[in-house]
Amino acid sequence: MQVRQYLIRRLALLPLIMLGVSIIVFTLTRFTGSPVGIYATPDMTPDELAALEERYRLDEPIPVQYAYWLWGLLRGDLGWSGVSVAPVTDVIGLKLAATLELALFAALVAIVGGIALGTIAGVRRNKAPDHAARFFSILGASTPTFWFGLLLLIPFYLWLDWFPIGRSTPEIFDTIAHPTGLYTVDSVVSLNPTAMWDSIRHIILPAVVLGFGAMAIIVRMMRSSMVETMSEEYVDAARAKGLPEKLVIKRHARRNALVPTATVIGLSFGFLLQGAVAVELIFRWPGLGQWVTSAILSGDQATIMAYVLITSLIFMLINLTVDIAYAYLDRRVVLGS
Amino acid sequence: MTMTSENVTISSESQHPRKLRSRASSVRWARRREVMREVLRNPLTVIGVVIITLFLLMAAMAPLLTEANQPDPYQSPRDWANIDAAPGVEGHVLGTDSTGGDVLYGIIWGSRLSLQLSLTVVISTLIIGTFVGSVAAMRGGRIDNFLMRVVDVFLAIPELIFALAIAAILGPSFRNIILALAVVFWVKYARIIRGEIIRVKQTDYVAAARVVGDSTWNVYRKDVLPNAVTPLVVQATLDMGNVVLIGAALSYIGLAQAGLTEWGAMVSAGQSGILAGQWWVSTFAGVAILLWALAFNLVGDGLRDALDPKTEGR
Repeated sequence: MQVRQYLIRRLALLPLIMLGVSIIVFTLTRFTGSPVGIYATPDMTPDELAALEERYRLDEPIPVQYAYWLWGLLRGDLGWSGVSVAPVTDVIGLKLAATLELALFAALVAIVGGIALGTIAGVRRNKAPDHAARFFSILGASTPTFWFGLLLLIPFYLWLDWFPIGRSTPEIFDTIAHPTGLYTVDSVVSLNPTAMWDSIRHIILPAVVLGFGAMAIIVRMMRSSMVETMSEEYVDAARAKGLPEKLVIKRHARRNALVPTATVIGLSFGFLLQGAVAVELIFRWPGLGQWVTSAILSGDQATIMAYVLITSLIFMLINLTVDIAYAYLDRRVVLGS
Repeated sequence: MTMTSENVTISSESQHPRKLRSRASSVRWARRREVMREVLRNPLTVIGVVIITLFLLMAAMAPLLTEANQPDPYQSPRDWANIDAAPGVEGHVLGTDSTGGDVLYGIIWGSRLSLQLSLTVVISTLIIGTFVGSVAAMRGGRIDNFLMRVVDVFLAIPELIFALAIAAILGPSFRNIILALAVVFWVKYARIIRGEIIRVKQTDYVAAARVVGDSTWNVYRKDVLPNAVTPLVVQATLDMGNVVLIGAALSYIGLAQAGLTEWGAMVSAGQSGILAGQWWVSTFAGVAILLWALAFNLVGDGLRDALDPKTEGR
């Protein structure tokens, strides 16, 4: 009951926060000046420019402009993306799919690596393997992704040419259908091994770089829950009935330690979306991060607004899900005791 | 090891709150010393402390280690006779970049910029965050509600993008990167301190101080705040590293002035040379960023672990 009330309250707040976010970002971006340059061509006369400003209502005060933007949003019109030379609504789905695909693969790297390292660290607490696992995960969190990406490109792209940059080879990807927008999934759906191999080759390096950075938070949670479960009575009981230590850890301690870790995985996904910015720049991955960076640097305000809107929405939904998961887990703990 | 955790159960009836307060304070310090000892038992933390010390020494002694470039020491001196020199070329231990800038010089003077960046951002955001969070938690009600909604709005925008947008609006310069990060980073502290204060406010010793009729300000200053700051210390330590990581990303993207001895800008400057096999500029500058962030993350992680009741004493 309480969880439901909390959920309703949080969901009701969501549009309000989004409104606040959009007001702040809109005002901030308009401080850089009129975005008329995005719509103008170099050979326009001052008169034509003024006409253009009037047409897009850029001559109005900022609050009025914001009202028009909001009205546009309600009608499903997010404006013109100068960096993509297309309406924002036409490209945002593609960009989102590219970033989501990258984030999902990176999450896979972070989850598998994080759970493995966290288990080792928790079981061998304060011993050498614990220190090594923690050091490795903290190293990931401390590595500047843009630099690490660059460093990996030298051997794997420049010298060995194992992994290409970008998201795909256009000639291969024009040949298959794209029902989901996630290239790896699309290539599997279309049963095209060449395309499958191509999409995997492109995503491995950026996913590893991004996932390495997100691993630390999972290792930390997994470690402390392992430390906790390892001292539980049911683990002693499992040992007492003569189960080999490997199975005790795998079936009893780790399985229970995974529950709290699952909530942290949600949080790390928010981190992945943010970390994707630098990774996308380095690997020329055509996702949201690359899109918004070029928009910010060229004053493309419609694109910036769209990006902020969609990422903050995802951010908040993730946080909400994590909070609900915590509440659910808490309740279970209360019910169980 | 055992932790002194008896610090604040004040049920001993006859004692006056003033005495209790001074006792609570000494218990607090004893616990802090205990935590420090625990922290320094962790070899990873010790590594972090050593690296931080070396960086601080490097920043302090920069003018002694290298001859400061005039008029601006934060621009590498140009050795036009040795462009793109590999590490080891006479006079350039770590090589030079495409404009003859010495990499070692950049790393040494860059440590001063990193220190300036992290200290300014962390201290200013700590103050702002503590102020906002304290007002919200102490006043409660509508003020709390309003301030926390503002915090929610700030938290909803990804840090890096928010800072990137602000820095881009302010124009490319290192000072604007600092400013942009300060605008973004205070929110976390406000949220943490608010939660802690609300927790502390419910304890007996705060109630006791109230009963005696102490002013809200005094209770806040002497009882609430000192017992609520611990998580802030952990977060601030971690942020000393994070701020430099994000700041470096911003100047890598091109938001610091050209030729600055900032490590992220150096990675970016060396990037074009990599294709031609000149790996040293980006690599060494990146190692500097990595070591800085690593050191503070190790220490912050060690602190958090020592303070975490979950893993304590097991």
